[in-house]
Amino acid sequence: MWYGNFREQTINLQLPEEKYRLLAFLERQGLALDGNVEYAVAVMDGEKMAASGALDGRVLKCIAVDEAYKNSGLSAKVVSHLISEAYEKQRTHLFVYTKPENKAIFSELGFYAIAEVPSKVVLMENRPDGIKRYIETLAKENGSKADSAAVVVNCNPFTLGHRYLIEYAASRCQRLHVFVLWEDRSSFPAEIRYRLVKEGTRHLSNVVLHQGKDYIISDATFPSYFIKTYQELVETHAKLDLEIFSRYIAPALGIRKRFVGEEPYCKVTAAYNAIMKALLPVHGIEVEVVPRKLADGEAISASRVRELIRSEKLQEVRTLVPETTYSFLLSEEAQEIIRQIRSGSRRH
Amino acid sequence: MKIHQAGIAGTLESSDITIHIEENEGKGIEIQLKSTVLNQFGNQIRHVIQETLQELGITDVLVRATDKGALDCTIRARLLTAVSRATHSSCFPWEVK
Amino acid sequence: MLYVPGNHPGMIRDAHIYGSDAIMFDLEDSVSIKEKDAARQLVYHSLKTIDYGCTEVVVRVNGLNTPYGGADFEAMVRAKPDAIRLPKTETPEDVKEADALISRIEEQIGMVQGTIKLMAAVESALGVINAYGIATASKRLIGIAIGAEDFVTDLKTSRSAEGIELLTARSQILFAARAAGIDALDTVFSDVNDEEGFAREVRLIKQMGFDGKSIVNPRQIEIVHKLFAPSEEEVRKSVRIIEAIGEAEEKGSGVISLDGRMIDKPIVERARRVLELNDAVKNSYILAR
Repeated sequence: MWYGNFREQTINLQLPEEKYRLLAFLERQGLALDGNVEYAVAVMDGEKMAASGALDGRVLKCIAVDEAYKNSGLSAKVVSHLISEAYEKQRTHLFVYTKPENKAIFSELGFYAIAEVPSKVVLMENRPDGIKRYIETLAKENGSKADSAAVVVNCNPFTLGHRYLIEYAASRCQRLHVFVLWEDRSSFPAEIRYRLVKEGTRHLSNVVLHQGKDYIISDATFPSYFIKTYQELVETHAKLDLEIFSRYIAPALGIRKRFVGEEPYCKVTAAYNAIMKALLPVHGIEVEVVPRKLADGEAISASRVRELIRSEKLQEVRTLVPETTYSFLLSEEAQEIIRQIRSGSRRH
Repeated sequence: MKIHQAGIAGTLESSDITIHIEENEGKGIEIQLKSTVLNQFGNQIRHVIQETLQELGITDVLVRATDKGALDCTIRARLLTAVSRATHSSCFPWEVK
Repeated sequence: MLYVPGNHPGMIRDAHIYGSDAIMFDLEDSVSIKEKDAARQLVYHSLKTIDYGCTEVVVRVNGLNTPYGGADFEAMVRAKPDAIRLPKTETPEDVKEADALISRIEEQIGMVQGTIKLMAAVESALGVINAYGIATASKRLIGIAIGAEDFVTDLKTSRSAEGIELLTARSQILFAARAAGIDALDTVFSDVNDEEGFAREVRLIKQMGFDGKSIVNPRQIEIVHKLFAPSEEEVRKSVRIIEAIGEAEEKGSGVISLDGRMIDKPIVERARRVLELNDAVKNSYILAR
């Protein structure tokens, strides 16, 4: 480990040549390059890539060491580099998704397991009490646990469909916890989505709104680079997210029931819901699938709203969203979001 | 000295220690330690951290450390660097203003 | 002289065990800008704590024209290595500035003036032109070195196996060192795997008259020692000289003589160096096995 042996080199993903090199390296390690990577680094031995790693928000990804360099401390080098890069961006609470067989390696590098889907994936974080503190705060802020239920929503943006689901659920329990997914892959940023849900549910006194941040895992942020098939990816994501929900979040809040909107269109969400129906009851949590609210005989969905925005039919949106959401769409603040939806730069 | 921001120093490489510090207002000094030599040296590492914080007059801080067999002087250096990064000040005694 | 990256605790801890005559902790080129503060703390506390025995300890600081140089000097003078190495020295004024700063700190902390020595690394054409001025700019100066990587860039060329591009610079630095009565140190050879090329370069610079070679990996120590090793004849002679000193001291005699000839200070120094070198070489052989 003296001079001249290894060199850390940032990979510029904008340069096709560099990106291709990383892709080829990862492929040799049986990995793919996750679509969502904002920063990547390689450890070079002369001109040869020996190890790699990447950062996506607060998630460390694509950490791989070439077989020839196993046990030379390169994973420590990569992870140290990524941690210091993340800290520089003021991100101190970090996560890593990895195969269970790599748990020991990351444990030695200061990560602690949160939840695991056996033989598929384990989620780890860089603090021993991250999830514990989170649920302690949840429990403390929410007092009594009596007869609580939950819904998890993305609300991209908040529609009458979402409002219907929340009203329906809230009328069937003493307290309803609403988790708004906190990821920025949606057309509407998390803060806006949260705000629109808040404004649109103000009339419901037993609704508690939460930012579904670190421990509610959106399929948009779930990494895909080490999972082979799409089917497996969907399943693994669902199992991991539900494991955390049933093991930590539900007990902390006394949640005994989860409501979910019926999913007639999106296969991924439908698959997720199916797994939820199978898994949660095992943990004593009932699942109720609520049929979609219709408008003109068609289910109201956020994707339909975005489609209307895209095809410049904002007027028609009016019948699908609460007044609060509609007036936001007319506001100055919304124009950049609308412009982006129209230019089609985002799928969601 | 008060810690309001987070700071980190050190690496996860052999013989080093990564030390993260953050605000722990009113809750004293809390040390979360992970070490390859926890059984033999856990107490010694905690002691060095405690002592160094005391010298700086830091009474409330959360310290998270991942140790890879660092010497005392390395622990001290990494902790001081983390503190100086969190407080944007030099932690060399002659430069403290 | 073994280069040790200043932000690697493991290397810093073990730097002296491989048997090099000197170790140089580097705060400059091997430390990224983001880690300058960390390396400064680490080297400071390591020097304060670790006993490096009789290995000469040098710290390469950042230049005083960088944002890190000033703080490096403040910390390193207090950490008390044998010497501070000034990088990218171009003029005698660079050395004088460093000298004055060290003097100021020494005084401030009550350290005997002149405790901390200086070495100057010349890494540009201007530095080579000014070599003699640099070599004589301070009493603290114990050596002058050439740093080839930056130098060849400055010359708009690159390093070759034969080293023709370094020939004039090496000579100039050597002349300056000899004229000023200080050591001349050669640059590093970075390709650790090219042992043959390395040996060729060591042979060349030893023949030119250099006092030592900078190395980047402990694996290079053995080759340097082997090629710099004193002959048996030299060792025998040196042992006799040192014994003669012992005898003279026992007798309380102020004049030291051997075989009817007076031995003056330079001869004693040279004998000591030969024996030290001999010891160092032996040690590194043991370690290499």
